Amino acid sequence: MTHWSLFEVASRLLPRSDREAVLGDLVEANASPRQILLEVLGLVARRQIALWKNWQPWLAALGIALPASLLLMGESVSVIATFRRMPWPIIAEHEAPLNLMSLVFLLIACSWAAGFVVASLSRRTLWTSGIACLMPCLFCLARFRTESLSRFSLFLFILPVALGVCHGIRHTRISLSFASVLAVAVTMLTIIERSGDFCWLTAALLWPSWYIVATATGHMTKLENRETT
Amino acid sequence: MLGEFEYLLISTAAALEDMAYGAAIREKLEATTGRKCSIGALYTTIERLEAKGLVKTWMGEATPERGGRAKRMLRVTPKGVRAATDFYEAVIGASRDVSWATIRTRGNI
Repeated sequence: MTHWSLFEVASRLLPRSDREAVLGDLVEANASPRQILLEVLGLVARRQIALWKNWQPWLAALGIALPASLLLMGESVSVIATFRRMPWPIIAEHEAPLNLMSLVFLLIACSWAAGFVVASLSRRTLWTSGIACLMPCLFCLARFRTESLSRFSLFLFILPVALGVCHGIRHTRISLSFASVLAVAVTMLTIIERSGDFCWLTAALLWPSWYIVATATGHMTKLENRETT
Repeated sequence: MLGEFEYLLISTAAALEDMAYGAAIREKLEATTGRKCSIGALYTTIERLEAKGLVKTWMGEATPERGGRAKRMLRVTPKGVRAATDFYEAVIGASRDVSWATIRTRGNI
């Protein structure tokens, strides 16, 4: 690959407005393609370093993506295992369908909330949060040895996480009523599902939903203050 | 309080007035200080200053010598002028009676 095509690729890492100004400045200074490439990469690196001086990328990667992916893999396997244990034909009085439905809801809600919070906290460092999520996935994939279950049953959570991320990129918060219903439902179901087995790791699954409530409340308070002033 | 490079950037932009944009600031900075100024250092400092409300930037016109690409123009805000004045006065105050400042003053005389 030539220097010119390399610098074209590197410049894609910059926002469009910056790309225009930065490349224009370098062309005006008669910089060689190699210099342009190094300068652009230098700017991209400085920007990334500057982002990591804030707490949000750390929280998104180490506080959510890493622990949540471990827990959500467990939840995914639990959903598949419960589904396979279901008595067929489904008997209405039996509690298994209800149990399965609550597990599926928990998986979808927790995954979506985790994805949403990761993206809304720090969308410019999403790639590192992605790596933090991928590492435990690869680790578990390599060590998954349950013959009755497919390895891919670990990854049921990926789709709701991706939907949450997409929503988080477009909106930094959601309505307070929706956030509250989601957080209360997730907390209640988690307490019921894990009665007697409630540990700090469980909190890693719950706190993204409550973080969404906190940001929605903060936004509402700000709007009310603005209206009164 | 401004940092050293932030002060140099604000001073250069103020001196360039309506011609203050990335390439012109960089060229003048390098000529004044005799040090290389990377695009990364320049643009991240401009962003920091803009976030603090010390400078204002906007996209200017495109010129043929830039390959038809637009300039990012820059103007120092009144808040930026105050911050630069405070920095300058602090440096002048701290430099009073120091040997290098005295030598320079005598040399000028």
